[in-house]
Amino acid sequence: MRKAALAFAGLLVLAGIVFMREASGLPTGWTASGPGPGFFPFWLATGFTLAALAVLVRTWSSNHGQGEPFLPGGAWKRILVVFLPMVGVVAFLHYLGIYLGGLLYLLGYTRLVGRHPWPLVLAVSVGVPLVLFFVFERWFLMPMPKGLLLEWLLYGR
Amino acid sequence: MDLARTLHDLLYGLGVAASPENLMVAVVGLLLGTAIGVLPGLGGTNGVALLLPLTFHLRPTAAIILLASVYWGAIFGGAITSILFRIPGEPWSVATMFDGYPLAKQGKPGVALTAAFTSSFIGAFVSIVLFTFFAPPLAELALKFGPPENFAVLLLAFATIAGLESGDPVKAVLMTFLGLLLATVGFDIVSGSPRMTFGSVALQSGVNFVIIAIGVFGLGEILLTVEEALRIEGLRARLSFRDVWETWKLFPRYVWTIVRSTLLGFWIGVLPGTGATPASFMSYGIARQFSPRGSKFGTGEVEGVVAPETAAHAAGIGALLPMVTLGIPGSPTAAVMLAGFFIWGLNPGPLLFQENREFVWGLIGSMYLTNVIGVLIVLTLVPVFAAIVRIPFAILAPLITILCSIGAYAVNNQVLDLWIMLGSGLAGYLFKKLGYPLAPLVVALVLGDMTEQAFRQSLIMGQGSPAIFFTRPIAAFFVAASVVVFLLPFARNVLRRARGGAIPAEAPGAAGS
Repeated sequence: MRKAALAFAGLLVLAGIVFMREASGLPTGWTASGPGPGFFPFWLATGFTLAALAVLVRTWSSNHGQGEPFLPGGAWKRILVVFLPMVGVVAFLHYLGIYLGGLLYLLGYTRLVGRHPWPLVLAVSVGVPLVLFFVFERWFLMPMPKGLLLEWLLYGR
Repeated sequence: MDLARTLHDLLYGLGVAASPENLMVAVVGLLLGTAIGVLPGLGGTNGVALLLPLTFHLRPTAAIILLASVYWGAIFGGAITSILFRIPGEPWSVATMFDGYPLAKQGKPGVALTAAFTSSFIGAFVSIVLFTFFAPPLAELALKFGPPENFAVLLLAFATIAGLESGDPVKAVLMTFLGLLLATVGFDIVSGSPRMTFGSVALQSGVNFVIIAIGVFGLGEILLTVEEALRIEGLRARLSFRDVWETWKLFPRYVWTIVRSTLLGFWIGVLPGTGATPASFMSYGIARQFSPRGSKFGTGEVEGVVAPETAAHAAGIGALLPMVTLGIPGSPTAAVMLAGFFIWGLNPGPLLFQENREFVWGLIGSMYLTNVIGVLIVLTLVPVFAAIVRIPFAILAPLITILCSIGAYAVNNQVLDLWIMLGSGLAGYLFKKLGYPLAPLVVALVLGDMTEQAFRQSLIMGQGSPAIFFTRPIAAFFVAASVVVFLLPFARNVLRRARGGAIPAEAPGAAGS
């Protein structure tokens, strides 16, 4: 836990320096139209870096969480089982869209992790995307990414 | 002010609002608004904007009643997903989440929902009365608030939120800086140059805080729950109207919180450019400083739901005041409604009261009626909403994830936002795990643009000298108050150490008001 906290604080310091560099590419001083566009971001980034340094030093000087594991046993697997399919849905958004992707995600998770009976699994994983489809596409007219597959099924192209 | 005249006008307005057409429009608007409030990513502002074209076929009075009802409905509805899933349905319901979600997790979703709806209603109702009788003088006073005053008020908001977390104040400051930094991403309003985009074109439109909030709170929560592997079954929550009654019995205790939150919310709403979101955060922060149970905030205190909800709805009403009286929108949603005024052929401003009596008083009358109808509708639905938490986690988790994705995508219609959401979900999980508070990040992200604008305008006014924040009395007062509030958590830590690690039972109540 302590190692993770140290690594994370170190990462934040690095990020702060990157932010400062990016902000200093713009005028940070007084310009003809008041404070330059880089003024606010630059000083914010500086404040962020200093705060991150302070956290790093304090974490370093305390023994808090020494020797504790960062995650309880088996937690990695459970987290990845939720998170990776999520990444998969977004990665294949172009082909599957949010509705079909959502259907597969619901189907997989309720069946494999929840071990619910098939009728319930099917009702939920088909019903939910269907309802969402009508709410967003038909009633509120907010087009969601439908994906090439659903576009083809619906409109034949 | 002529009281008899106002009362006469008000009765006339109630009559206009109670006409069958206007009443029907109001109920339709409320139901739509509640649905819009529940769906993440579909906010009151875009809800009103989407319905604007529909109003071209209505008479102006019915049109404004429809739009206003959608707004009230969205304010009621926004609380629902925040409390049940920790996904903010609306920006102003982020603060409701802080105590509403823990309450729901403890099996008391009905209490949290009832508290949210009821306090929303009270905040709204008192504000409408203020609106009815004090509209013109308040509008005048609001105009005295220039950029330095606005900046000072925002500073107070940051100070209250940074003092929010009982954990490490340095981490709270760090998260505030991060939120403000993220808010600067995108085109600079003054110079027009893209900032902090690292050369990415997609980032030029900026990072929307709704996406970050959905990621860090909605997704982050799922990851945390999965890690603990606790709740595979749904929650067992008692579902009946007894919750409603029992929550109401708590309300007399919160009289001062409600009065304070209403006045604060209403005033923040009246100020141009702010609105319900900053009002809800400030009200939460200040309630925490004042409440004797302040140190328990964040663990499921009913008062922590009451404060932001009261202020959010009060601000929603307040935001309409400068719009009607001066033609200056008090919030983004009011700005969309203002666009409607011109389309319907009305000129907002002081003359509106004289020239379009039916319109103005019809709107005011409808605010009374729709809020009464609205709270009755949502309260009857409390058991239904509360039943949602009974759904087993293995079904709820993917469901929430999909709703998060839809909400994040709906903001800008770009796939990049989904990646930002996933990234902030992971980041939110790590932050939470390592003791970095998330609330200051989101608050800073919400208020960032406003703050920077007020800050730059003030510096321009003062020709580069920050003395302007101290020479104007109202600004100086708020700056001083922020410094006091900001230093409290540090002082508390020092005190704690001086007492040899003993945690003070009560949060200091003498916060600068």
